Amino acid sequence: MVELEEACFSYDGRPVLRDLSVTLEPGSFHFLTGPSGAGKTTFLKLLYLEHLPDSGSFTLFGDNPVEATRREITLLRRRIGVVFQDFRLLEHMTVAENIALPLRVAGRDPQGYANDVAELVRWVGLGQHMDALPRQLSAGEKQRTAIARAVINSPDLILADEPTGNVDPDMGGRILRLLIELNGLGKTVVVATHDLSLIRAARGTVGARILRLAGGTITQGAGEL
Amino acid sequence: MRRILRLIFGVTGPPIVPTTGWSAPLTLLSALCMSFLAVLTIVAGLAATRLAAEWRADLTGVATVRIAGIEASDPATVEKVQEILRTTPGIAAVRPLTDEEQHALLEPWFGTEAPLADLPVPRLVDVRLDGAGPDAAALQRRLDLEVPGTVYDDHGAWRGPLADAAAGLRRLALGAMLAVLLAAAAMVALAARATLAGNLEVIRTVRLVGGEDRFIAGAFIRRITSRAFAGGAIGAALGLLMIGGLPDLAATGILDVPLLPGRFGTAIMGGLVALGATVVALLTAQVSIRLALRTIL
Repeated sequence: MVELEEACFSYDGRPVLRDLSVTLEPGSFHFLTGPSGAGKTTFLKLLYLEHLPDSGSFTLFGDNPVEATRREITLLRRRIGVVFQDFRLLEHMTVAENIALPLRVAGRDPQGYANDVAELVRWVGLGQHMDALPRQLSAGEKQRTAIARAVINSPDLILADEPTGNVDPDMGGRILRLLIELNGLGKTVVVATHDLSLIRAARGTVGARILRLAGGTITQGAGEL
Repeated sequence: MRRILRLIFGVTGPPIVPTTGWSAPLTLLSALCMSFLAVLTIVAGLAATRLAAEWRADLTGVATVRIAGIEASDPATVEKVQEILRTTPGIAAVRPLTDEEQHALLEPWFGTEAPLADLPVPRLVDVRLDGAGPDAAALQRRLDLEVPGTVYDDHGAWRGPLADAAAGLRRLALGAMLAVLLAAAAMVALAARATLAGNLEVIRTVRLVGGEDRFIAGAFIRRITSRAFAGGAIGAALGLLMIGGLPDLAATGILDVPLLPGRFGTAIMGGLVALGATVVALLTAQVSIRLALRTIL
């Protein structure tokens, strides 16, 4: 599904990721760990194509994003669901409208997805807040809205950047269970976190791998939970 | 409104671009000002053209014969000139101006109490031409021979400069219109850039969730175009209302033609200016937004 081979990425001339080689198999679950500033978010940005590697090879869903056109990049992104660290909810849209955004931009008929959106809103426990604006939500509710938006399009790859960073441990546990449930549906999940308790909480519930990011490169672990 | 947008543009949800922000009224205000100026330019250009046409019409098909010297007061001389004119091919009618008419012509210079009878004022004969008029040179030779000092004036000396002036005014109006269009395009481009800059995070997010350039550009272009149309319509209406509210220049004698081309013509003009503002905004926004989006992966 995702293959990076000796990929490097520099930001403003400063190397952030180097000789990065990693493979994410379909249906796998990964925790991306490392100290703050290690480049976890940058690595995720490579995966959701906000950045492209300066060198090395990159294969995503069988395509090479580096040589892709803007439209092809758009189509690749529609197969990826991202839970951003800062949520990136559109402040002028309601919870339901934010969640429906990936379907809307893909040109799907609103009549066709209205029920799906309502069902997903309830699934993430925001049934009472469907028409609320993001500013009316707590951090946890925003997080769940972001997760719902990330999965509404049934993406093949789900990337979550510090999904429990803004919520209490109880809410963090609920979010983790949600991601594990999605993985159970066959989605590939990558969770960037420095919260070891989250990784411990996943022990025994999911066959996750840990990707340790240090010094700008990744060491890929297997069956470490 | 949403239903209309859905019908016209296929809009199927809440606006992607937030409806608030400091850049929102910028397009509307730009279009308003530019349409206002466009109306003034068009009205001035059309009035100048109509005025020039009227001047030309006044001087076409007529000529004047001027009888100078002491013979001017001699009725026999005036009769002789009329006879020459009546027998000249290309002249349809001849009529000497009355004393009152001559007095009226001189009134601006000499006032109402001037003793015209005591002044060596030439006698003027109004000549209506038939078709292309007479052979001016041949007629002048005959007049020189039979009534020396009499001059046939077909107003050719006036028509040329008037035609030049009319053409110059039209060029000036077109130049002004072009300047207004360019300024409008530049302001819309700036407003579009400002709108994009103010919504950069929204654009990035929409791109990252799978929005194509076409989708994002469409959302911005719809917003900018609808604002340009509203601003254009308001600006055109304001311009036309202000011109319509001016004193009747024709009645004051300052201008011989009305400024506005009748109710129907005025409505058409207002509509065209608003439409023009919309089209300029549409094209400018399309180009500037597409170019700007290419800088965002």
